[in-house]
Amino acid sequence: MGMPIAHGIAGGIGGIRTAGDLVARCEMTKMRLKDAKKYVANKLGIDVSCIADEFTMRKLREDLDICTITGVPNVARHLEAKSRIADILGIKIRSVDHLKLKMKV
Amino acid sequence: MEEYLTRLGDGKPIRQTKKQIYDDLNEGTKNMAEKAKVPELTSGDLEYIAEIIMAPTRIVSVKPGNEVVMTHDVGPLKIMADQSNSGVNVPCSREQAMSIYERIIASDSAELGHIDYSFKPVKPIVSQEQSVLQNVLQMTTLPIFYGAMPNLGLYYAPDGPFPEPIALIRNRKMEDAKAAMNGAAERFIEDILYMTTRLYAVGLDALNIDTTAAAGDPDFWAVLHGTEKLKKECPELCIEMGMSGEFILGFHGELKYNNVRLAGLWPHQQVKLAEKAGADIFGPVVNTKPGKSFAFNIARATTAVKECVKVSKIPIHVNMGMGVGGIPMFETPPIDAVTRANKTMIEVAGVDGV
Amino acid sequence: MQNEEVLLEKLYNAVMDQDIETAKKSAEAIVKSKASPEKALQRASAAMSKLGELFDSGEVFLPQVVIASDAIKAVSDVLLPVMPASAKLAAKPGKYVIGTVEGDVHDIGKGIVATMVESAGFELIDLGRDVPLKLFLEKVKTEKPAIVGLSSLMTVTRTNQKVFIEMLKKEGLRDRVKVMVGGGATTGEWASQIGADAWGEDAPSAVKKALELVRKKK
Repeated sequence: MGMPIAHGIAGGIGGIRTAGDLVARCEMTKMRLKDAKKYVANKLGIDVSCIADEFTMRKLREDLDICTITGVPNVARHLEAKSRIADILGIKIRSVDHLKLKMKV
Repeated sequence: MEEYLTRLGDGKPIRQTKKQIYDDLNEGTKNMAEKAKVPELTSGDLEYIAEIIMAPTRIVSVKPGNEVVMTHDVGPLKIMADQSNSGVNVPCSREQAMSIYERIIASDSAELGHIDYSFKPVKPIVSQEQSVLQNVLQMTTLPIFYGAMPNLGLYYAPDGPFPEPIALIRNRKMEDAKAAMNGAAERFIEDILYMTTRLYAVGLDALNIDTTAAAGDPDFWAVLHGTEKLKKECPELCIEMGMSGEFILGFHGELKYNNVRLAGLWPHQQVKLAEKAGADIFGPVVNTKPGKSFAFNIARATTAVKECVKVSKIPIHVNMGMGVGGIPMFETPPIDAVTRANKTMIEVAGVDGV
Repeated sequence: MQNEEVLLEKLYNAVMDQDIETAKKSAEAIVKSKASPEKALQRASAAMSKLGELFDSGEVFLPQVVIASDAIKAVSDVLLPVMPASAKLAAKPGKYVIGTVEGDVHDIGKGIVATMVESAGFELIDLGRDVPLKLFLEKVKTEKPAIVGLSSLMTVTRTNQKVFIEMLKKEGLRDRVKVMVGGGATTGEWASQIGADAWGEDAPSAVKKALELVRKKK
């Protein structure tokens, strides 16, 4: 486990601690890193330099209701958060679409 | 003369002077440039890497703003798995392990996989994987990959229905060997389609095909065709194609994809075919030479990956696990080497992820 | 009558091109010209080593390596009968027992090494994979190989390489055979630690070291 942790600290964006999951989702649509960061920053209304910045992202994630890394009651998490992330980023998230299918929405 | 603490490719600590570091950097980049027929690193690149290696701190990191996306092979399985999966044997469920990756490791993505981490053995228990995946998708916010290896060797006797091709080649039964390899490849394509369509049906975000081409050019052929077919069946699925070695071993020698012979291809050539097949993310591999220094290995790896990044139209997530991407071939890779390799790959090779 | 170097070069190129017929004819021409058969065999072996390196860098493929080894066999069949007894012995490296250790089912890398070792002239005894250590020991006693090669891809199974060396010592057989270890879980450091005679980092270096071990022994 030391190796993935070391990699994450050395060069990772930081997952739901910052905007790492959001950039990852954009890369998954074939966007290169720079474009993915710009896209996410644009959608969140922040500067690209804040993508990996905890100071900006912690509050922003709570304000946008897209899951915080600490367990804040009533802040969207998991499927709730993913449905909001899909809307905010304008991307498809399959588990969200799957839920909508089940709900016949 | 000042000496700097660094490592050999097997993780052993050594001390090198600045000149020795530079000599090894030059040797490493020349070695790869010659083999893969790609440009050597620039003198600016080498100087930057030398500074990284000579940094006085145990851990180094990228400059703010240069952070990249992390994806994983095996990933959360490492928490409860044993040594054979590089695991630490902490008892927990796979669902809990995914939460740990999301909330404790703060990873950018997480991967679900089975302990027997290949497509063939997991096929009969796909319903178990679907059930766990459904749980995971409902209790995580991260993008979730499902990971497994093609492991074409499992399709050959005694594990599989096809005769072992290397033994056939040794007995000069070349055509029989090729038939066996072709048969195994076709059977793998059926299996990956079977598995992945079922996982896709319950909401899978992405598939990670790990150690592509471990069984040579038939393995790569199978994964390329499998990816192509999957993209038609599962159009919204992200596919990450991770490699197993720096070039494609030629067991068959004549297999082609898109009119390009597969045997002998290097990362900057492999990625173009991965793109053509429809892969969304590509994970190149460069093997660490255990007897050579970290400087040699990281220069060598960065040379290959930099060219791969340059020619690619899709994100490049360089493989940086044990023994690849400049990381020492050691069970617990020293973090001084891990962080230096990480920073080099991100800031010199320009990768989109690790 | 062509001079020796021209004939040797022709032989080398024929093996490199995996041209069995031309290799055989070149060997026959060397015998007819009374050039050195030992030099010829060495030159043909050098071509084989070069092909091994080219396989390891992706420029040549396994079927080609195997066909080249058929060229070597054709050449040896011509040259060995005209070589003095001592040289004949030197040209036959001996038996090589190979297998993946007990508990480990990976055998692709081992298969490549086995193919290259056989192509280099060793008499190969391939025990397969998940091979009980007792079987390796039995083969040391019955086949009297020059070398035993143990492959392991996993850190959990590589300890069997160490255990096997201990078994050899216990049976008083350690000095009778050279032990080479290899596979993804091994390193040179590991090989030294457990008292192995050599470590095969990859197939060409495994062959090179195997030939060196055999030469040292003689």
